[in-house]
Amino acid sequence: MRPSRAVAVHATLGAVSVVMLVPFYWVLKTSLTGENIFQYPPALLPRVMHPFYYVDVWYYIPFVRYVINSVIVSVIVVAANLVCNALAAYALTLRFRGKRAIVALLLSCMLIPFQATIIPAYLITKELHLLNSHLGLALPLCSTIVCIFVFKASFDAVPRSLIDAARIDGLAEWRIILHVMLPLSTSAVATTVILSFIWSWNSFLWPLIVIRNQEMQTLPLGLSTFLSYMENTTGALYAFCIMVLVPGVALFLLEQRRFIDGLTSGATKG
Amino acid sequence: MQSWSPFKPSTFAGLTHYQELFFYDEVFWKSLWNTVVFMSSSPIAIGLALALALLVDTRIRGRGVYRAIIFISYPLMTVAVGIIWRWLYDEKVGLINYVLLSLHLTQRRIAFLDSYEWAMPSVVVAAVWQIVGFFMVILLAGLQNIPPNLEEAAALDGASAGQRFRHITLPLLRPAIFLCLMIGVINSFTSFDLIYVMTGGGPNYATEVLITYIYRVAFVLSKFDYAAALTIVLFVFLLIVTAVANRLTGGEAGAVDAAE
Amino acid sequence: MRRTLNHIVIGVLALGLLTWPVAAQQKKLSLLTWNIPIYKEKIEGWIADFKKIHPDVTVEWFDKKGPEWGPFYQTQVVAGTAPDIIDTQGAIWLEYAANGGLVDITPYLQRDPSLKDYYNPRFLQTWVYEGKNYMVPFYVSKTLLFYNKTMLKEAGIARPPQTFDELLDAARKMTKGEKSGLMTLNFDWLYWPLLAMNGVELLTPDLKKAAFNTPAAVKTVEALAQATADGTINKIAWTGRWVEPNNAFASGTVGLYQAHAPAFFYVRGGGPWVNGDTLGATQMPGGFAVPNSHGLGISKSSKYPDLAWEFIKLATSEKWAYTFGKNFKLFTGTRVDSRLMEELQKEDPLAASVMKTQLEQVDKLVATWPLGKDAQIKEAFYSEFQAAVLGRKPAAAALAEAKRKVDRLLAR
Repeated sequence: MRPSRAVAVHATLGAVSVVMLVPFYWVLKTSLTGENIFQYPPALLPRVMHPFYYVDVWYYIPFVRYVINSVIVSVIVVAANLVCNALAAYALTLRFRGKRAIVALLLSCMLIPFQATIIPAYLITKELHLLNSHLGLALPLCSTIVCIFVFKASFDAVPRSLIDAARIDGLAEWRIILHVMLPLSTSAVATTVILSFIWSWNSFLWPLIVIRNQEMQTLPLGLSTFLSYMENTTGALYAFCIMVLVPGVALFLLEQRRFIDGLTSGATKG
Repeated sequence: MQSWSPFKPSTFAGLTHYQELFFYDEVFWKSLWNTVVFMSSSPIAIGLALALALLVDTRIRGRGVYRAIIFISYPLMTVAVGIIWRWLYDEKVGLINYVLLSLHLTQRRIAFLDSYEWAMPSVVVAAVWQIVGFFMVILLAGLQNIPPNLEEAAALDGASAGQRFRHITLPLLRPAIFLCLMIGVINSFTSFDLIYVMTGGGPNYATEVLITYIYRVAFVLSKFDYAAALTIVLFVFLLIVTAVANRLTGGEAGAVDAAE
Repeated sequence: MRRTLNHIVIGVLALGLLTWPVAAQQKKLSLLTWNIPIYKEKIEGWIADFKKIHPDVTVEWFDKKGPEWGPFYQTQVVAGTAPDIIDTQGAIWLEYAANGGLVDITPYLQRDPSLKDYYNPRFLQTWVYEGKNYMVPFYVSKTLLFYNKTMLKEAGIARPPQTFDELLDAARKMTKGEKSGLMTLNFDWLYWPLLAMNGVELLTPDLKKAAFNTPAAVKTVEALAQATADGTINKIAWTGRWVEPNNAFASGTVGLYQAHAPAFFYVRGGGPWVNGDTLGATQMPGGFAVPNSHGLGISKSSKYPDLAWEFIKLATSEKWAYTFGKNFKLFTGTRVDSRLMEELQKEDPLAASVMKTQLEQVDKLVATWPLGKDAQIKEAFYSEFQAAVLGRKPAAAALAEAKRKVDRLLAR
């Protein structure tokens, strides 16, 4: 690359980074100072920094317990998403009557906000006796329609001849999924893992409704402790948000390479 | 079609809810329109994300850092960011007005979130800010998967950078773009937190989208029956939109089918 | 791949088995509070005290913050697992009471002579719907006028405003650049004193029709709209909820702030400038105030309403009411308030100067109309009112439209 172009790229990305970081910077600054964000003129640099709010968060809520719950739920969600969505997507690659209607139904359901269906979802979970359990927490997120289509796009790209050959060899359908489809769709698998993990990790409303037990709370629920009505807990709130963010960003930084490679083939194959 | 409150046994309410909805409820139509406007911010976000993805795909120093910076807005909890945006946009003490005034770009302070005209664009900017990093990662993945030799061959054939982008990069990126678009559309129907924290749907329903409206009807106004009717109408509306989109794009909406 | 999948499947099954809930069968009360997770230890104290009297009963406690309290409670009601005892804010209870969702506690109150005069009658009265009492005070507050003494002094204003015109005049004098003169909280009916002091009534005395579409009301709304347009009234007054108005006042850029008492603690936390020389607290002109209290009530679906009532009595008893008031420096709407006030004066004179307003002029409480459709009426009125004060509609047109909407709601 020519140096002049490199400079231009750096300048553009630098400017964009500043814009992207401004709100984040204020979150970070407030978590270290507890300053009132509405002060004028805006204080660009923190005056006194201290880690007290982070310590507060650690002691106010059972942080580790919440993290463990969040991890368990996320693992269930990710695993269930892989299984359910791959199966559903495979079914959709076959020919059958009423397929168009089902696809249209799925596409429309995808857009219905969860707030609108939360009461039926709760009633079903209750009937299954899954309230207050990790499985119950994970249930509504166990299959996400977007991911069905991610898989389907990937499966559609698998050459017909390969599948036909497998059938002739007498492979059962589930074996075809396991031995033909999935190995050729590693990228769709990665996409599903990442998307469902993020959604599960940040899920808030459902755990809030379904959990009646302090021991079962997931990490985002810790939030309400820091949105107090009685006193200004802004500093702790922001410290908490940073602490919730850290695992995700650490994962991103460490796994950047794989993260992006993982997404890669799935998106292009689709 | 039932009159229903969590406290009472249900009774049949006929079609009164639907009558109310179609003939009296301006807020529903307003929020439907706002949802469409909000949805139209996804192409902007995707365009921006694509530009950023192309930039961080170049072989420059520190591209990993840039990627992380741009991505960081996505996993950050909305509750915190919402308040920060609220302040950034504030008429009297907000950073944006402060910068604009200091640079003499404006004489009068702008009430971004507190004025009817500015509220929606302001929310859209915040929403784009939040999602752009996520889109960038998806697109970046798509870009990195394009075999470099394709581009090189085209370059040897004398294709300009613009031509290469249009005829090679873009077609190969289509699935990734499609995934982004799908997530963007879903987001505009289901993302609640950002709007709720920033404006609560106001001022005067300027930023009321379907999801904030349904929440308000069900849980603030306790009209569960009516909220259910809203959801049914929404669902029918979505069915129609999907069907039309499907037809228009030749069965490609939602990556539906090559096989059919 | 295959092995990974097997592991995943086994993992899921194992987790499922491990976490399958154990159904508990014993007498159980549940308590739902509103955004006081920091009070955990003391609430566990209530439960421990209750267990001493009723060892056979277990009490489970949940706490949800504002935006999720409603979804949580209402979902539980639908599922038939509603918490027995609930702590509600403002007028939410009205909707529930009107729909038959709450237990009428009037008989309990009458049956118990020890409770006579224990709860402040004026506050107790705010939880009466159609002659029946549905809640008792847990902690009470009402609106007042905070003022930034420094800004008042700079603008050459000697005393806090006594009339509506003085209020806007003073506010106008303090407005400059980033500084604005007046702001109010607006959730529920908290802005209503601004209208009440101009003689505006929401409804006719029989609560059957809107009564606010008068020339006086139009004039008031026009004045508010004008003041909002020229920056005298900070627009957060009409669009903010809790965090933004408090932070804005705490930043020292707002002169007059109408809010209820708990705002003080929030403001003091975020405003290093706040002390006895800089922050004043008084009644709004005319002494009008809107209560925004928390009450404790019993869900209709409760299997043990008597036990639930016992629990409420314990939670609001002298011991625990005092503890609560001491802990948060708030009042409890019970007999212990005078003692709390005395002690507060010694310990925290600034807080005492604010809290003093809460015990004065309780006969001037406004916006306490017992409407079964309170939330819907509030929404219908405020949407038009907000359009007018933000300059999107002329005041007269907005109030006429609001009247149409409110009448339509009341007629159904």
